[in-house]
Amino acid sequence: MFDFLEPLFFLLLATGVIGAGIAVVALRRITAQALLMALSFASMAGMFLLLGAETIALFQVLIYVGAITILILFGVMFTKQDDRGYGLFFQQQTPWAAGLVVVVALPVIALAFTFKDPVTPSPKGGDLIPLAASLFTDYAFPFEVASVLLLAALVGAIVLVKRDEP
Amino acid sequence: MNVPLGAFIAVSAALFFIGAAGVLVRRNAVVILMCVELMLNASNLALVAFGRRAGQLGAGNPLDQRGSVFVVFVFVIAAAEVAVGLAIILAAYRNRPTVNVDEIHQMKG
Amino acid sequence: MPIGPFGIDPVIWAVLRLVIAVGLTVFLVLNGALAQIFLERKIQAVMQDRLGPYHTGPYGLLQTFADAIKLIGKEDIRAKLTDAPFFLAAPAIVFSPMVASFVVLPFSSDFVGANLNVGLLYLTTLGSMTVLGIVIAGWASNNKYSLMGGLRSAGQLISYEVPQILGLVTVVLYVGSLSMVDITNSQPGLLVNVVILPMAFLTYCIAALAETNRNPFDLPEAESELVAGFLTEYSGMRWAIFFLSEYGEVTIVSAIMATLWFGGWHGPGVDAVPALGILWFTLKTYGFVLLFMWIRATLPRLRIDQLMGFCWKVLIPLALVNIMASATIILAFADPRLPLAIVNWLLVAALVVGLPFTQRRRLLKFRSRTGESVAMRDVRLSP
Repeated sequence: MFDFLEPLFFLLLATGVIGAGIAVVALRRITAQALLMALSFASMAGMFLLLGAETIALFQVLIYVGAITILILFGVMFTKQDDRGYGLFFQQQTPWAAGLVVVVALPVIALAFTFKDPVTPSPKGGDLIPLAASLFTDYAFPFEVASVLLLAALVGAIVLVKRDEP
Repeated sequence: MNVPLGAFIAVSAALFFIGAAGVLVRRNAVVILMCVELMLNASNLALVAFGRRAGQLGAGNPLDQRGSVFVVFVFVIAAAEVAVGLAIILAAYRNRPTVNVDEIHQMKG
Repeated sequence: MPIGPFGIDPVIWAVLRLVIAVGLTVFLVLNGALAQIFLERKIQAVMQDRLGPYHTGPYGLLQTFADAIKLIGKEDIRAKLTDAPFFLAAPAIVFSPMVASFVVLPFSSDFVGANLNVGLLYLTTLGSMTVLGIVIAGWASNNKYSLMGGLRSAGQLISYEVPQILGLVTVVLYVGSLSMVDITNSQPGLLVNVVILPMAFLTYCIAALAETNRNPFDLPEAESELVAGFLTEYSGMRWAIFFLSEYGEVTIVSAIMATLWFGGWHGPGVDAVPALGILWFTLKTYGFVLLFMWIRATLPRLRIDQLMGFCWKVLIPLALVNIMASATIILAFADPRLPLAIVNWLLVAALVVGLPFTQRRRLLKFRSRTGESVAMRDVRLSP
């Protein structure tokens, strides 16, 4: 009886994801763009929930909405954004972008619709334990490498913005 | 009525190309970074969706989480990339107070 | 045709249940905030040797109602140049995750909203969404002080998320599950987790004080600094929503501490009467709320650089050492409780003794007016 709910939620979330994506590209005000990007991330977390990956959905909100959006807002606020008068669609690269969309994107999306397989149901008891098991046993070495990468990024970011005190 | 896999992949592809168009067209460095994040998000969705495909390589084991594991690493790398990217933008901003990529085209000065 | 309770159609009952649950949660949150505001004023007053509100109602009990009526009736002033949609949306973005967190709190053995198997991760995630609302509030007020207050607050909040999560991770390593109900069930009787993992408790308590913007970390909303920070332009009911969300967040953090380290809804008589669990849970939660108020009445405020230095240089290294040691011990020993307890109490002692020890020169010396440095023992108190 509740069969219509899942496609309904999917349509709502897809509208959120793609609509917010278009808004990020097309809007003029940068704070609105940053917040709509956060909305896109949150809708994407909803889509992960539909796919049965709830740990990944929560990580998505925690990392993307909770940290990356704040970082980008910091970046916006520490730099002066000049609102140029020239329009968005009169750039040098607009024909390339339009060509990309028409020539490459539309066939790819049409191809994407040919995958008719259903999505497997999520593992019993949630996907936390299988995910943790494979992450820490089969993929332990990439995990350690990723942590070193984060350390390098942290140190690098600090070094890049340090002012040279006389 | 289950949602077919193709719908998720179509959403992912659409978001990816929207992000790509944004990277090409926009002039503000921070907005370009935001569009790159959209592209990474799209690839995350594709990874998780394909990881959940029925009858996949690996005998359709419901315990197979290869897609999700890859996505965890993409999260880590995206966060690191945003941090370093913003650091670069701020450092360039200090040199010449603009974030317009049309004007930050010289390596010197 | 399935029949729901009271003979209602199950579809309608599902929707009705959702509405009732949300209404009940908001009712709980608002009343809890009212009670906490009153408690805070009375307790701070008693600790500062004065009376607090006593005029309205018996013992001043109706003071918060009077405040609420005043706030609702205030004029909705909004500066013209503020960014209208963001200005209006910021209180909602701060309030909603807080209300949504109540769903996983285990009030009693059969009174949990949803026994998520990732309950603790869910709570952490919602805690990190409030930072976004604060940054937006600071930005949308079109006021330099608000902006600086908002950014400082955001920096403080995202810095202290790390020790918060590290403290929780230690408990999760010991218990082996992220579900709040499982964590509660792992502490029957008196051997509650705080005896085994006090360092994690201390880390989480300090980080929670900072996460909810309470003293001694309430620089962003202090009224003598930065003109009340990101809250400057908000007045009347919008300000009230920010404060409600702060008190709600304090409740949630106290509930997490009560569940993870003090046994949640366990207490005498729970096995016979499961509903008694709600009483014990509420008592423990409000015990921690009172602890927060006690700390607020006692400690002075930290400066922003002191706060950040404490987080990154003291709390995070100790929490990381704690996790490493705990993980090693849990893998090495069959019954890890005693070695874990030893390591944790050693770390607590290291923090309590080590912090004044590293600051001993600063504590013992000070500079006289002419700039020479004078040791404390050379100062005479009388001429």
